[in-house]
Amino acid sequence: MSPIIAVRNLRKRYRYAKAGGLLSSVFPDYQYIDALDALSFDIAAGERVAIIGPNGAGKSTTLKILTGILEPGEGTASVLGLTPWRERLALAHRIGVVFGQRSQLWGDLPVRESFALLRHIYTQPAAVFAARLDRLVQRFALEALLQQPVNRLSLGQRMRCELVASLLHAPSVLFLDEPTIGLDITAKAAMRDLITQQAHDDGQTVLLTSHDTRDIELVCERVIVINAGRIVVDQSTSELRRRFLGRKLVTIRSVAPVVTLGLPGVTLRSSEPHQTLFEVDTGTLHVERLIEAALAIGGIEDITIEDPPMEEVIRDIYASAGSG
Amino acid sequence: MGALALYLRQVGAAIRVSFADRANFWLQLGGMTVNNGFVLLLWFMFFAGFRSVGGWRLADVALMIGILALSVGLAGVFAGGYRDMAAVILRDDVDALLTQPRAILPRLLARESIASAWGDVIVGAILLARFAALRWSDLPVLLFVLCGSLTVFLATGVLFASLAFWVRGARSFARDVVDFVILLSSYPGSIYSGAMKVVVYTFVPAGFVVLVPVAVLREHGLPGLLTMAGAAVGYAALAGTVFMAGLRRYRG
Amino acid sequence: MTSTRPLAAVERALAVLRVGADATLAGRAVLFGRGVFYLLVIALLATFWDLVAAERLPGTLSSLLPAGGLAVYVGVTEWITLSVPAIHLRLEDDIRSGAIEAHLLRPASYPVLRISESCGGLLVRQGMLGAIGVVALLLSGHAVPSAAMWICLVVLGVLGGFVGILLFALVGMSAFWLRRTIPIYLCVQKMSFLLGGLFAPLTLYPAWLRGISEASPFAAQLYWPAVIVVSPGAATVLRAFTYEVLWIAILSTLLAMIWRVGLQRMLRQGI
Repeated sequence: MSPIIAVRNLRKRYRYAKAGGLLSSVFPDYQYIDALDALSFDIAAGERVAIIGPNGAGKSTTLKILTGILEPGEGTASVLGLTPWRERLALAHRIGVVFGQRSQLWGDLPVRESFALLRHIYTQPAAVFAARLDRLVQRFALEALLQQPVNRLSLGQRMRCELVASLLHAPSVLFLDEPTIGLDITAKAAMRDLITQQAHDDGQTVLLTSHDTRDIELVCERVIVINAGRIVVDQSTSELRRRFLGRKLVTIRSVAPVVTLGLPGVTLRSSEPHQTLFEVDTGTLHVERLIEAALAIGGIEDITIEDPPMEEVIRDIYASAGSG
Repeated sequence: MGALALYLRQVGAAIRVSFADRANFWLQLGGMTVNNGFVLLLWFMFFAGFRSVGGWRLADVALMIGILALSVGLAGVFAGGYRDMAAVILRDDVDALLTQPRAILPRLLARESIASAWGDVIVGAILLARFAALRWSDLPVLLFVLCGSLTVFLATGVLFASLAFWVRGARSFARDVVDFVILLSSYPGSIYSGAMKVVVYTFVPAGFVVLVPVAVLREHGLPGLLTMAGAAVGYAALAGTVFMAGLRRYRG
Repeated sequence: MTSTRPLAAVERALAVLRVGADATLAGRAVLFGRGVFYLLVIALLATFWDLVAAERLPGTLSSLLPAGGLAVYVGVTEWITLSVPAIHLRLEDDIRSGAIEAHLLRPASYPVLRISESCGGLLVRQGMLGAIGVVALLLSGHAVPSAAMWICLVVLGVLGGFVGILLFALVGMSAFWLRRTIPIYLCVQKMSFLLGGLFAPLTLYPAWLRGISEASPFAAQLYWPAVIVVSPGAATVLRAFTYEVLWIAILSTLLAMIWRVGLQRMLRQGI
């Protein structure tokens, strides 16, 4: 079966003019950045795939090319059999897109009116649209929000509305660019659940970009890691989790100058007066065991649990790919 | 640092910011200059066809527009923050300034320098130097009335922007009033009578921005100079009083 | 390709037009300010021209001024000028901020949607300012146009407003290359004042300038709708209508071409 998304040797070079004096306004000194470097991958129908990487890795550039709002410099891409940047308007009927940092709703309008306007934009029959809207409003718990202007909603509420807006025309493929950016923990969890459930129920293909590792762990079954415009890793989420995401960083602020824990799977990363940073191998030791041990010592003021920074994960992945 | 020195330093920084994007700066300046050029062309064409409107000739209109352009231009360059002051107040951006040990109003005025205002300054200077039928002996009076005109114009902007301390709709209203002042200052005083004349010497003080300065420069005389000085002091005092009252309300 | 169902496209445009109208109606403070500005400016200009007409200086163009004065003429030109929404700022903002990307993801023409939205704003403003203008005219004592002329004024005035939207949409498209449209906007605005006969009919212009002005899109925006009050007659109305339709066709074609070039540039270089 042919892939629903096929990318071959995509390259994209951006040009920008260096800031300078008056003369440079007329004769600019151009610099170049290679955002994508021979990117190739396929995505099958129904897959949920995450593209992750640090800032500037090329995630958003990839998504923009696949949604047709950016042309590559070289290479080919096909989404649902269409070349995105040449058949943008035809493709638009069949894909849904959410940009975390851009809204596609009308800020001054009540949510319901934004949705009604989208019916016209996507030329949806009224009855079909109404049924679909009702179903999505219920699933995403938007009843209380429908009469409110979009610009009065919290970020989490707005993102739920953005997701519904991208689904109203029953797209086959969903592109989500940083859909959980800026959301608090509760809102992120809700957003991930909704995306997963929705994609499962409607059989949509999902391509998601993020630099939040929890997005990929909880939503996607496959991960493509991009760094400097190239694919570094392309494997299943379970494999990636096993190899690279089995660590947590725990910072303990204490009355004592230093906290000492002799636990298996726990490594001291750094120590400042009254603040100690541990790395926990979650395959060996649950984080809650470390917390129990710390609390048993006493004099604990604060405990912070974090994932390793994406840059570290990428560095590990890259190092592993280089040595493998 | 003295208040004036601090103000000049802030204005200097704002001017440097407006220069930072050179292409944009020259575009803005050029655009405003061309814009003013079209307005002048319309007046030249009018006087070529009609010679006078209520006794006002081309040189009188050139004097009026020259004073207006210089006042608006200097206000834009050296106190450009007046233009969006209502928006700053409504966005609660005043909070950051309240924590600092300096007067608020000069900070608000000096936070922006409008690039296009240089176009007004240039056109105003050319009009006064070349087309307004002034003599070198008029220069001291010209500088005096320019200061007065600039003060009244800025005070009007501050006065109506300060309404934002009380009313959310003040942003568009304040900009409208400034536009009204410029509009009413763009026509010869001979067309004003009755209620309109009362308006241009009170709520929308175009009379003090251009009409009194033109009268003083054409007729010379102490009463005119005293009127100009009184208007400048009066409007400045009113604007300052309303601003401080608004600031007290904001803090309270 | 965009949906080829014409009815669907019309429905879409009307839905967006309604959004523009609602948004304009919601901005009451701005509408009120605009109404006061309109009143002020037509009062000023009417008084100005009445004073000029009263002076009747020999050897001037005073003899060419219409008997009823120019109050209604400038009332019409200012009505159209002040009704045209700032579509150039909308386009500039979308292009500079990258918000245009959200529009490109939709199966609909971005310029058509933005122009439809602006038309909604235009109709609301023209309705409001038109009502103010009519009341001011009735109270002023100036001669009132006939019923047939009112109808012609409304039709030509709305078309003139649409020409203005197309002109300023072209200005907004310059944001693909210039990032800030204000200098172009100011030049186009002042050209419309000058060549469009905002303050005085083109009949008072020197012959060499009159010909150029009458044929310009700026005259299609302002002069041709307004001139029927100083030169009434079917021939003038027909000529006005022809110029407006012609310039709507030319400006629309130009806009489509520039949009295509600007879009290609954006697709290649990104936001």
